[in-house]
Amino acid sequence: MIPFIHTLNALLPFFYLITFIIYLYDFQKGGEKFHNSKRLFLFLTLLFHFLYLMLRTIQFDHPPITNVFEIFTILAFSISFSYFILELVTDIRGTGMFIIIISIIFQTISSLFIQDLTEVKEVLRSNLLGSHVFSALLGYAGITISAVYGFLYLILYKELKTSKFGLIFDRLPNLEVLEKLSFYSAVIGFTLLTIAIIIGIIWLPQAFPNFSYTDPKLIGTMLVWILYGIGLINKLTGKWRGKKLIILSIIGFALAIFSTILTNFLARSFHSFY
Amino acid sequence: MNLLGISINHRTAPVDLREALHLSEEEIRNLIQQTKDKVLSEGIIISTCNRTEIYGIPKQNGITHLDLQNLIINFKSAAKVSEENFQKFISRESVEHLFRVATGIDSLLIGDNQIFKQVKDSFIISEEMNFAGFLIKRLMDAAVRVGKRAINETAISEGAVTVSYAAVQLVEKIFANLSKKSTLVIGTGETGEIAAKHLRDRGIGRLALTNRTFEKAEKLATELNTAVFPFDTFKDHLHKFDIIISATSSENVILTKEDIEKTMKKRNYDSLVIMDIAIPRDVDPACKDIDYVFYHDIDSLNVIVQQNLAKRRNEIPKVEKIIQEELDAFFDWYNSLQVAPTIKDLRDYFESVRAEEVGKNINKFSEEDREKLEIITKRIINKILHHPTVELKKLSDENSASDFSSLKISVIRELFGLTGNKQNQQEKN
Repeated sequence: MIPFIHTLNALLPFFYLITFIIYLYDFQKGGEKFHNSKRLFLFLTLLFHFLYLMLRTIQFDHPPITNVFEIFTILAFSISFSYFILELVTDIRGTGMFIIIISIIFQTISSLFIQDLTEVKEVLRSNLLGSHVFSALLGYAGITISAVYGFLYLILYKELKTSKFGLIFDRLPNLEVLEKLSFYSAVIGFTLLTIAIIIGIIWLPQAFPNFSYTDPKLIGTMLVWILYGIGLINKLTGKWRGKKLIILSIIGFALAIFSTILTNFLARSFHSFY
Repeated sequence: MNLLGISINHRTAPVDLREALHLSEEEIRNLIQQTKDKVLSEGIIISTCNRTEIYGIPKQNGITHLDLQNLIINFKSAAKVSEENFQKFISRESVEHLFRVATGIDSLLIGDNQIFKQVKDSFIISEEMNFAGFLIKRLMDAAVRVGKRAINETAISEGAVTVSYAAVQLVEKIFANLSKKSTLVIGTGETGEIAAKHLRDRGIGRLALTNRTFEKAEKLATELNTAVFPFDTFKDHLHKFDIIISATSSENVILTKEDIEKTMKKRNYDSLVIMDIAIPRDVDPACKDIDYVFYHDIDSLNVIVQQNLAKRRNEIPKVEKIIQEELDAFFDWYNSLQVAPTIKDLRDYFESVRAEEVGKNINKFSEEDREKLEIITKRIINKILHHPTVELKKLSDENSASDFSSLKISVIRELFGLTGNKQNQQEKN
């Protein structure tokens, strides 16, 4: 089974790339040619990815959530899967390439560096870890999608303000829809991250008795959480809208990614698993 | 096929001459009545603001395009219109031109789908006047199919190609649901009126009007069932609207940047779209610097119009391909219609010659040889006609060179004197 897992691992970035190219072609050319079939390509890519994740779990006797490269492949899957559901629910089909490209990045890094680990640190063999990682990853997928739609909002906003009517104007949904997509993705992302944080805090003292409250992971996570929290409160009370919220969502996303990279690769944190 | 067609359109004549030959529905009916009596056995007359066209099958030999031209010129007493102002078509050219008209690629505004509806309406008039015979009915079915295919299979009618539609397209890129939005139209001249009607057709939630001459605004408001604001107080209500369309003939700016800034504060910076479609402009263009104000003037709307027209022009080859496919299909049908009667006429003609000659000479043969004579002469006729029959049948299967097929059939008919039979056949149809 291992050679098959390795083949899938090597092929997955290409599957995402092919799907991305089809979405890109459809975005540029318009028309009906790939209007429906591109969704099928995305579905097949997700199916192969799911199969890969299942086979890894069986073969290596643990779900691929124990180090950062295993996490990246699940993150790539979660982002595209969340987009797939979003496309099915909203039938907004013109934005897929902007999301799938993020899955390509995460999956490529994962495919290059992932190892066939069967030995897992004892501390990571916990039932709580599964729910912590699961909610955190879907939360990250949410805030990633929120940032992408936010970015698209800013581009379309600028094109409309400066009377430029190119491909972005032709293909993207309208500003109100982009704002809503960004906001709802952020709400879902924030909720799931909150759940992940709560589980993490419950699990933390028993797993890492020597942890410190000044650990970079804790500080980074709290900053991201507070940032989204401020945004949501101001939106719900009607004080902020449009650009302001969207810029906040993009900053939140950048901070979350920066914090993950910092705590996993650079700083000495209890959360460094690679 | 002897289908004649004449057309006066934006390419052949200036607007005053096109207007001189424009026909109302009643005039079309009257002209059909006259045409039916003297000139055409069946046909169709199309008249829009940019073109007037007549297609039909001549009632007898010798009727030409000139007769059709004179008919309409005399009917409209339009002495200024001359022969050069008409395009003339015959047979396949006529069908092709009608298809081009139905798909909108011959229109001044490429891909204009108004013309498709007008062609269909003209056909209904022809049918009601018993002017649409067997051939014209089939022709119109094909024209309607071509028009539908062009709309469904290509992007020839996509995108806004008028300033008013471009304004609506732009608004739809900012707001998700027009039924929840409100619009104020300032100035109820022709442009303002068209814009107001477009927005109402797109299901705008609330529409209000204001105009310097209050009565004029009131008149349009009654027609559209909307509210009216007096011109001197409308600024107090600006913040209640998500879309402002300004199309007055004012020489000066009527909404300054300060007016819009005040409005935006009252709106808590909720998005505001301003479409300034007046020349000179009604709204200070500097207001585009204010956050969430989407200001567009006639120039930026024209950019959308020009882009969409360019896209439509790129679709013309696709539409022309559909036209060629449908032309071939139409002439395949037409030729098959002609081939069967021609084979029958040819066989009947040979059989009549054979029977006549056998009848004349039958007495020269003994009783026992007479049956053999019948068999042998019939066999000779069958052998002679075998190859021509096969060739004629091939014509009905061929997909191309349809006009050439018609030519072959007509040569055979002329050589063997079958012309009278063909006319009888047409009359039967």
